[in-house]
Amino acid sequence: MDKNFAARRRRDLIIAAVLAALAALAPLFIKDVYVQNILILTLMYAALSQSWNILSGYCGQISLGHALYFGIGAYTTELLFTKFGVLPWFGMLAGGVIAAVIAMGLGYPFFRLRGHYFVIATIVIAEIGLLLFQNWEWAGAAMGITIPVRGDSWLKFQFLRSKLPYFYFALALCSLAWFVTWWLEDSKWGFWWRAVKDNPEAAESLGVVVFNSKMGAAAVSAFLVAIGGAFYAQFLAYIDPESVMGFQFSLLMALPAVLGGIGTLWGPVLGAAILIPMTELTRSYIGGSGRGVDLIVYGALIVAISLALPRGLVSLFSRSKAKGATR
Amino acid sequence: MTALLETRGVWQRFGGLVANSDVSISVGRGEIVGLIGPNGAGKSTLFNLIAGVYTPSQGAIIFDGEDITRLPAAERCQRGIGRTFQVVKSFETMTVIDNVIVGALIRNTVMRVARQKAREVLEFCGLGARADVPASDLIPSEKRRLEVARALATEPKLLLLDECLTGLTPIEAQKGVELVRKVRDTGVTVLMVEHVMEIVMPLVDRAIVLDLGKVLVEGKPTEVVRDPKVITAYLGDRHAVGA
Repeated sequence: MDKNFAARRRRDLIIAAVLAALAALAPLFIKDVYVQNILILTLMYAALSQSWNILSGYCGQISLGHALYFGIGAYTTELLFTKFGVLPWFGMLAGGVIAAVIAMGLGYPFFRLRGHYFVIATIVIAEIGLLLFQNWEWAGAAMGITIPVRGDSWLKFQFLRSKLPYFYFALALCSLAWFVTWWLEDSKWGFWWRAVKDNPEAAESLGVVVFNSKMGAAAVSAFLVAIGGAFYAQFLAYIDPESVMGFQFSLLMALPAVLGGIGTLWGPVLGAAILIPMTELTRSYIGGSGRGVDLIVYGALIVAISLALPRGLVSLFSRSKAKGATR
Repeated sequence: MTALLETRGVWQRFGGLVANSDVSISVGRGEIVGLIGPNGAGKSTLFNLIAGVYTPSQGAIIFDGEDITRLPAAERCQRGIGRTFQVVKSFETMTVIDNVIVGALIRNTVMRVARQKAREVLEFCGLGARADVPASDLIPSEKRRLEVARALATEPKLLLLDECLTGLTPIEAQKGVELVRKVRDTGVTVLMVEHVMEIVMPLVDRAIVLDLGKVLVEGKPTEVVRDPKVITAYLGDRHAVGA
């Protein structure tokens, strides 16, 4: 039995490696910049959703305020770069660390809240963050920050002629987020998180320090999301509060995981692979026909999938997985 | 030899309600002690005070020679107090073995070792064959066993059982009794709350009867059941006169 378990873990790892390798080869065949753009966004949202899933899926603390950490990653990187000339690579790490610290600072009061009250708190905090940045003159306020063009360079993580470097970074980030999840899933933390989600009182009686578990999940989750934010800022070469901290980012991190299978290893990737291209395509093909039609189609699809597969898309793949080990 | 667990003059008030007043009990190493009493006697309150769900309004709880009165539940588990819940609290989205691994992780952080430990405990509790099904698929008596298995995986010195035999069929209850004996034989001290007297009495070494928040009688089960005070508490004055 335990051999089965080890074999399943190994199989997951192999599938992930094969998928990543295939994805890495995709640009050989896909030359269309528009499609490449969709691929980059899909990988980015897969990474973000995977990170969101650590706190909200595994540990069960549903956050609809992760846009805050995304924005913090973006702003930290660009403020350090434009004001102090710090390379984006260092800014990215700094953004991750700041986001993790803020997540724990916010967790201190808010992890005492349960269920819907916690969700509401996360939304409110992210909105406050957005307002602060809209009014913070030094950080460009509502005007935002334009990233100065210094030519193509890995050192400055800036590419104008080709989108491919961004593609590979997004792929690496997605792989990293997946791998971190894979690794944590079979660790003390992974077990503690799932126990906390299912029944905090029982968890406590088995020696799980519930509060610390939530703090750990929040820190890892926020760190990875902030790295995503830093990437997005470099990719856009321009940021303003609404375009990196708007509520839609919180939703776009949560939806792929929910649709694909919340609290599962493959859910976020699968959800993002379907949802993000769908978002982009409905927007570009019917988005112009009148405001909102694309969103109606998009919303209807989400409702349809949720009704047909309440456990998420992963439940299609393996009966034993959907019924048995929920992962 | 000192007692493993001792409560010293413990009081617990909920607003105006006094659930436990001046309760002093002790549980010796290797004993099976039954905590009994009619509904509302304060059994569950005392149980939760020992497990760390509440902090007593007054008094002290001593475990293994140390004052644990103000320690949180997780820390008590670390020190060797395992518990089950009256209303089972399985981790429903996890498999049976994963439920037990959560408990095992407090002693072994290496996953392979924790998994091995969990499997042994499941075998011990007669759930070996159900290890890989989701906890939500278990029938009620199996869920009770899972509660025990999870608690045993934390390698407790003292196991607190909260009405774990109540509501089972006679055959299931008998199996439960055998399991409790087996647990004691491994050197674990057991304190069990029950109100089904006929199941508990043959099992326990000593019974403590609570009534109206106070210790009414304590002693050997055969003596306790004949005590007029106990009969009065359970059945009323009329029956006590006949005894």
